[in-house]
Amino acid sequence: MNRHHLKTALGVVALSATLLGSTLALPLPNDTRKQTFNLAPGGSVSIVNGGGSVTLHPSTGRQVVITATRYSDKVEIDFTNTPEARRVEARTHVLSAKSTSDESRVDYDVAVPAGISIVVNTSTAPITIENVDGDFSFSSDAGQITVRNAANSFVHVHSLTAPVSLSNLTGVHAEIMSSGGSVQMVSVTGPKVKVSTTSGDITYQGDCSGGGAYSLVTHSGAINVTLPETASVDLSAQSVSGSVINDFPFRERSHNTFVPTPGRSFAGTSHSGSSSVELQSFSGRIRVKQQ
Amino acid sequence: MNCQKYQENLPHTIDSGGNAEEEAHLQSCTECASVVQDLKYIANQAKLLLPMHDPSPRVWQNIQSSLRNEGLISEGRTSLMAQKTISQVPSSSSKAFSARAKSWTPLGWAIGLAAVVLLGVVLVNYHPTPTQPEVAQNSAAGQAQVVADQELIGQVSKQQPAMRATYEDSLKSVNAYIVDAKKTVEDNPEDSAAQRQLMDAYDQKAMLYEMATVRSLQ
Amino acid sequence: MTQAKKLIAPGLTEAEAIERAKSGDAEAFEALYAFHKRRVYSLCLRMTGNTAQAEDFTQDAFMQLYRKIGTFRGESAFSTWLHRMAVNVVLMQLRKKGLPEISLDEMLEPLHEDGPRRDIGARDNVLAGSVDRVNLERAIADLPPGYRIVFTLHDVEGYEHNEIAEMMGCSIGNSKSQLHKARLKLRDLLKLRRAEKANRR
Repeated sequence: MNRHHLKTALGVVALSATLLGSTLALPLPNDTRKQTFNLAPGGSVSIVNGGGSVTLHPSTGRQVVITATRYSDKVEIDFTNTPEARRVEARTHVLSAKSTSDESRVDYDVAVPAGISIVVNTSTAPITIENVDGDFSFSSDAGQITVRNAANSFVHVHSLTAPVSLSNLTGVHAEIMSSGGSVQMVSVTGPKVKVSTTSGDITYQGDCSGGGAYSLVTHSGAINVTLPETASVDLSAQSVSGSVINDFPFRERSHNTFVPTPGRSFAGTSHSGSSSVELQSFSGRIRVKQQ
Repeated sequence: MNCQKYQENLPHTIDSGGNAEEEAHLQSCTECASVVQDLKYIANQAKLLLPMHDPSPRVWQNIQSSLRNEGLISEGRTSLMAQKTISQVPSSSSKAFSARAKSWTPLGWAIGLAAVVLLGVVLVNYHPTPTQPEVAQNSAAGQAQVVADQELIGQVSKQQPAMRATYEDSLKSVNAYIVDAKKTVEDNPEDSAAQRQLMDAYDQKAMLYEMATVRSLQ
Repeated sequence: MTQAKKLIAPGLTEAEAIERAKSGDAEAFEALYAFHKRRVYSLCLRMTGNTAQAEDFTQDAFMQLYRKIGTFRGESAFSTWLHRMAVNVVLMQLRKKGLPEISLDEMLEPLHEDGPRRDIGARDNVLAGSVDRVNLERAIADLPPGYRIVFTLHDVEGYEHNEIAEMMGCSIGNSKSQLHKARLKLRDLLKLRRAEKANRR
């Protein structure tokens, strides 16, 4: 056997061992499996689940601890990690298309280190993350997505009808897209916050002063913005056929792409106008008020 | 011609076809035929792989700070991400847009491709006074889109029947959004906010396709 | 769609963005980044199989773009030009790192044939119809680096062997044989995964 053949053969053996070793099938129904991985800095964690739940919270050190609970043997859970521990993945496989939603649900409780990238995909399982900073990319058809208490994080969300709730996020880069789910933000500030929905309502509450760019856009959802008197913003609001109501004491100003029309569009500044806020709808009602 | 000889030459013949002797061997040997079939299948599947992931936003931040450190852009121009009023700045809205346009990742399904064609055609023809060929293109693309939507719903009903109604409703809403947004752009061709909404509408639709696709792969 | 007409942002064609970026317009550059980032990143990710490296190389590729966009003369489509630049960045960086990622043996070793492939029950065992995107992506990520690069360039990105040979500094025959080995290896990996899956059921 020449060197090349030997290398190939060893590679296949090593790879087979890795594959076999890292894919774990659960033995019994209604059971919980817990596994700990040491994640390389800058690594990523990915969870793919249908129904049930995915809850993420901080861990110690570089550890990722995944606890998965299933409620029937009609689902299988795979844990996979790459040899250099750059990526850890947990994935639910539903073995029978006929299984009920109770049978196919899996609850994931995941402890993660700060500063990593986390990708979660679910169908109906709610996704909740608290007190973790990092890059988040969450997607759910119908499971509520909640992000609480994070600083300097990137938050990307895709939702079909899933309600999205963000609170106490500072220095955030958020890009949220939802078709029909509502998007609620309380004390969410950072350089960039962009929310777009087709029919979901968008609510923003808090002081977004500080130089960020906030853009809330919808077709038929309502946009409600509540600002404290101290807010330093440069705001414009525009609706094609919906109403625009402003109850906040802005200094009105001219806008360079539209002429403000009472009830349809509005542009105003408060204090030094440090952050820009753009509200835009087609038929949804836009309302700005003071806290 | 034996299997050994045939397969030795395969790296050079598999994509372009072999000589008469090799073709004859392929016809008569099930083992070699199965190798060739698999390899061609893999190559074809690879062609269907589309870009699936956006880089983390920190990549753009790093680019900005590197450009700034190297003095390639001046201080005042660096905070592009946090540019004021998006509608005043075409590139900022474009940034938002392109995340949308590129998040269209229907994995080589015919439906997705048809939809991408539509997106392209519409973006080119967004101006209000289309010429006749453009109108024709638009309506052809429109029909392709209807077919694409039906196929998407077909896929969803097969893969995740419980979500069918949700996807149907969402498609209906987003299609209405696109119609409204297009009309607004046609009425106000210079209005960049209207253009942005149209792109938002397409992005919403792209998201539906992407989500349905990702879910069906699970 | 021609480059002149291709809109990459409301009211901004790609051609306009390129011209503006050539004169140092950072906003136009941002529009180009936004429009092309996913393709470039995916290319880097498939070539390296590593998200952190792929991010670094994406960054390098766009830095190069900013520096070199003045030399773009429109002989090819902009995207073709940019992707070629990205491929070169990845190859150059991997070489710079002393090639732990691409073993020279693996890259340049003359073709050794493994003898004819024989499958027991070959007919029942063909892959057709059994491979989904996720499996294929994973199998590509598991390829040895040299195989992965050639496979990505040829089968995913659609480069011809003569282009790959030029970029990688190898012969066309070498590119063809690497590609062939990569596909054979993928076939093994995919079958292995399928067998494992079946065993677990």
